[in-house]
Amino acid sequence: MTEPPSRPALRARELHKSYGRHRVLRGADLTVAPGELAGVVGENGAGKSTLLQILAGTLAADQGTVELGGTLGYCPQQPVLSDSLTVAQHLQYFAAAFRLPDLRRGEELLDRLGFRQYRDRTVGELSGGTRQKLNLTLALLHEPDVLLLDEPYQGFDWETYLRFWDLVGELREHGTAIVVITHLVFEQDRFDTLADLADGRLAVRRTSTGSSDHVHA
Amino acid sequence: MSTPDLRPGPAAAATAAAAKPAFSPFATALRFALRNQTRNRLAGMLLVAFVPVWYLLMLLMVGHQSLEFRLFATGRVLAVDGGHLTLISAGLNALTLIVGFAVFDAVRKALAFDRRLVFAGYRQNTLIAAKILSVAVVAAAVALYTAVVLLAFWRPDPVGWLAVLGGYTVSALTYGAFGLLLGVLVKGDLEGFFLIIMGGLMDTFLQNPLGNPLANKPVLQWFPSFGPMQFAVGGALGHTALWGHLALGLAWAAVFALAGLLIFHRRTRSCS
Repeated sequence: MTEPPSRPALRARELHKSYGRHRVLRGADLTVAPGELAGVVGENGAGKSTLLQILAGTLAADQGTVELGGTLGYCPQQPVLSDSLTVAQHLQYFAAAFRLPDLRRGEELLDRLGFRQYRDRTVGELSGGTRQKLNLTLALLHEPDVLLLDEPYQGFDWETYLRFWDLVGELREHGTAIVVITHLVFEQDRFDTLADLADGRLAVRRTSTGSSDHVHA
Repeated sequence: MSTPDLRPGPAAAATAAAAKPAFSPFATALRFALRNQTRNRLAGMLLVAFVPVWYLLMLLMVGHQSLEFRLFATGRVLAVDGGHLTLISAGLNALTLIVGFAVFDAVRKALAFDRRLVFAGYRQNTLIAAKILSVAVVAAAVALYTAVVLLAFWRPDPVGWLAVLGGYTVSALTYGAFGLLLGVLVKGDLEGFFLIIMGGLMDTFLQNPLGNPLANKPVLQWFPSFGPMQFAVGGALGHTALWGHLALGLAWAAVFALAGLLIFHRRTRSCS
């Protein structure tokens, strides 16, 4: 294992989580460096979404620590949106939350993800794929240092899927640490590291893409 | 478990300090909370259609028989036109259901989204203040509409009408706060709707002495509509301003709102 060149963007240690008698996490560790793209894989029910929710702070772990080296963006698996607001109003609401000086980034993401034509439509009228685009956009709006994405491309068409990966590539180049839950075997070479969640623990392996200066668990 | 830094970090803070935020958090939250609470088409239809129809039905059913109504503050028993009394009671009945339903539905649907906003950096107190104000605005608007429609069926003197409006407003606030409490508390739509319908019907029905064995009994004092009904009837039919009873209604609203907001605070906070 190589020592990190700088402070990790995300470091989780000894995470434990049980639902009743079912122990989902049993000491999971994960460390991600700035600019690193880490994929979390595992069988259905292995606890991937639980792990990401704990990393994001939306779910309490029974035990363990999570340290973040900067601002956080979290894209939950199920879009968390308001059906009665338009796409543009969502951007305004989250710009207020992040105290952004303008909507430039949001407007840019409407173009990048190809859903500008729905800007003034209420979310209740949108298809699942477009809702997911907005769900992702809200996580990216404030250009976070750490990005946690739980199967962020569900419902995307192929073109949008490819645009998503272009966007991820740019974010990496700008030093964003990214953790993605993925099921797709064919895309696993896109990641620097893959963390396999099995029996409540993460086994991290470097892919052929992974560069030597990235941090592993 | 350590606390992840979910707030904008040093870089974002520097950006924020350098440039003024484009959207005021409070004004934005208020605008969208109002939009959420006024987008309920069913509640809108009920307001437009149900209120006048309900007034009409109740008036046709009761006619103008004389009824006795006790003003608890003075001990006086008023002999009143049963039709007028029933109209006041019917208005309270209709608006408690509509406001309670509209606020419950909006708050419940927005809860997960509010939580996401808090995680994105919204202060819980800002969202809470916006919610309270939006509930108050919606409640006041529904109360005003219900009191204006009343004029089509009965023209009390202006002071009496203002007393009815005061009672309606406080009752609407109480059931708005009740809707807020249920919106953050109950898990399913059905439980919430059932509690609002049953609670509102029972509460407002019992205040009317028409065919009600509990009429004018002290037990009525323990129901949320008691204060507003006393104030409205006292002002419209007894020429008495029972401010203490109006305050009692406001106390119910405050208790429901406080309980609801405490639960909201708890359910939208970070788990880490």
